[in-house]
Amino acid sequence: MSRQSTSSRITADSKKVNSELFVLTYGTLVQQLVKDYESVEDVNKQLERIGYNIGLRVIEDFLARTNYPRCTDLRDTAEKIQAAFKMYLNATPSLSNVTADEFSLVFESTPFGEFTELPDACANLKYCNVLPGVIRGACEMVQMDVQAYVIADTLKGDNATEIRVRFIKKLHDALPAGED
Amino acid sequence: MMAIHSVYIVSKSGGMIFNYDHNFPKVESEKTFNFPMDLKLELRNKKLVVVFGQRDGICIGQTLLSINGTLVNGGQMESGPDALEYLSDETKFPVSLRFGRTRMTTNEKMFLGSMFYPLYAIASQISPEPHSSGIQVLEAETFKLHCLQTLTGVKFIAICDPRLQGMEIILRKIYELYADYVLKNPFYALEMPIRCDLFNDNLKVLLETIERTGITNV
Amino acid sequence: MTIHNLYIFDRNGTLMYYGEWNRKKAGTMNKEEEGKLVYGMLFSLRSFLEKISPLDLKDNSFCYRTSKYKMNYWESPTGVKFVMNTDLSSPNVKDLLRLIYQMVYVEYVVKNPVCPMGEYIHSELFAQKLDEVVKSSLIYTSKTS
Repeated sequence: MSRQSTSSRITADSKKVNSELFVLTYGTLVQQLVKDYESVEDVNKQLERIGYNIGLRVIEDFLARTNYPRCTDLRDTAEKIQAAFKMYLNATPSLSNVTADEFSLVFESTPFGEFTELPDACANLKYCNVLPGVIRGACEMVQMDVQAYVIADTLKGDNATEIRVRFIKKLHDALPAGED
Repeated sequence: MMAIHSVYIVSKSGGMIFNYDHNFPKVESEKTFNFPMDLKLELRNKKLVVVFGQRDGICIGQTLLSINGTLVNGGQMESGPDALEYLSDETKFPVSLRFGRTRMTTNEKMFLGSMFYPLYAIASQISPEPHSSGIQVLEAETFKLHCLQTLTGVKFIAICDPRLQGMEIILRKIYELYADYVLKNPFYALEMPIRCDLFNDNLKVLLETIERTGITNV
Repeated sequence: MTIHNLYIFDRNGTLMYYGEWNRKKAGTMNKEEEGKLVYGMLFSLRSFLEKISPLDLKDNSFCYRTSKYKMNYWESPTGVKFVMNTDLSSPNVKDLLRLIYQMVYVEYVVKNPVCPMGEYIHSELFAQKLDEVVKSSLIYTSKTS
């Protein structure tokens, strides 16, 4: 089978994509969106939407592979999202400002933004805005309504890139049968 | 052989989005009958079903498939005449009749797959113990049904030989295949019926491997 | 091993008896409503089984397991249905259900001329004998789980 055993996939994945190519792909995507849309705000919105659609699917891969149980509180969720960043992007964001209904994921530099310099016309562009979308989509699939947004960005001169996640509510109506 | 007969996937909203019959036993037998027939047939759901009597492996619940090699559909022979009328005519005998287990049409399978959804939910509701899941294993003398519900609410269902062990692991493997070959296919729309050849192929390989070498090798 | 509760339905699905021994989660509805829900569910489940089974079913019994309990179903040839919920480790519940049919139902309902068929069983003798049979069963007495 093309798949390896679950345990080995969590720690090290031999199916690697050259990260340069990945960064280039992402950069081209963003740049094309900037060309296609008149306002930077619309680009931000599109990126978030793309991320959301990724989140809806990637969560199943994450659960299929890790066999994690349902989260019990927001810290639990935060740690699992942290683990997912390690798994899928080999990025290790730190958690900060964790409260009962909010937390931040802090990256030393903007993911995918290693070589990016924002032109003046794009001063408001949220370059890595797919990521909050991914988080929102993935959480929705496990019946959690969250808000996620970029609040600091190294591309804009901040010390770190920070994604803030706010818990809104449990989607009780969407909870599968037999779970309470 | 410890067969896995079929796999179903039910979406989180309760629709059946996938079915694959893997190793479905074909129960069929053809025998010659003299007048009057020793089996009682009745038309049920557009099928001629044995309601009383049995011989040579033909038993109650089986469907009349053909008369003298002519297929029977909806109680009518393909050549035109009504099957029950034909079989009440002594001059046609002896006849050769083929019986088999009623095979489900795609629509019936869709219906059945979707029917499991409320059953699962009620089983949790009527539990005498708090915090119970829905049906995880359903067992009858002829088969066992295993169901894995993911945290996102998708149900993976496998029907297999009652002696087969380790089905939970197999269902998790199928979940992985689904995450790979269905969800990562950008042209698959969520909640829609799954038509992905790669998924089918990989599922088939997985099930064959398990049947050949057992669960430890996957 | 634990026996949680027992439902008896007649051939038409009327709840004839409900008894409970160790039920930790109280039902959210009254006995009749719950009986209807349980019967409706088992009725559908049976027709589901018949259709989805790869081979012909010969025996009128089946069971299912959830994460917390096991439902055991046995039906007499006359169509009286016995449904017992137990914990997950209880074996051979089918035999106990058959025993309840033989020793209690037939003796104290069928053979009792003042006990009307097809209605809820109010006979105290029946309830008492049922309790005796259940409590003397290995599933009830055994402490191992």
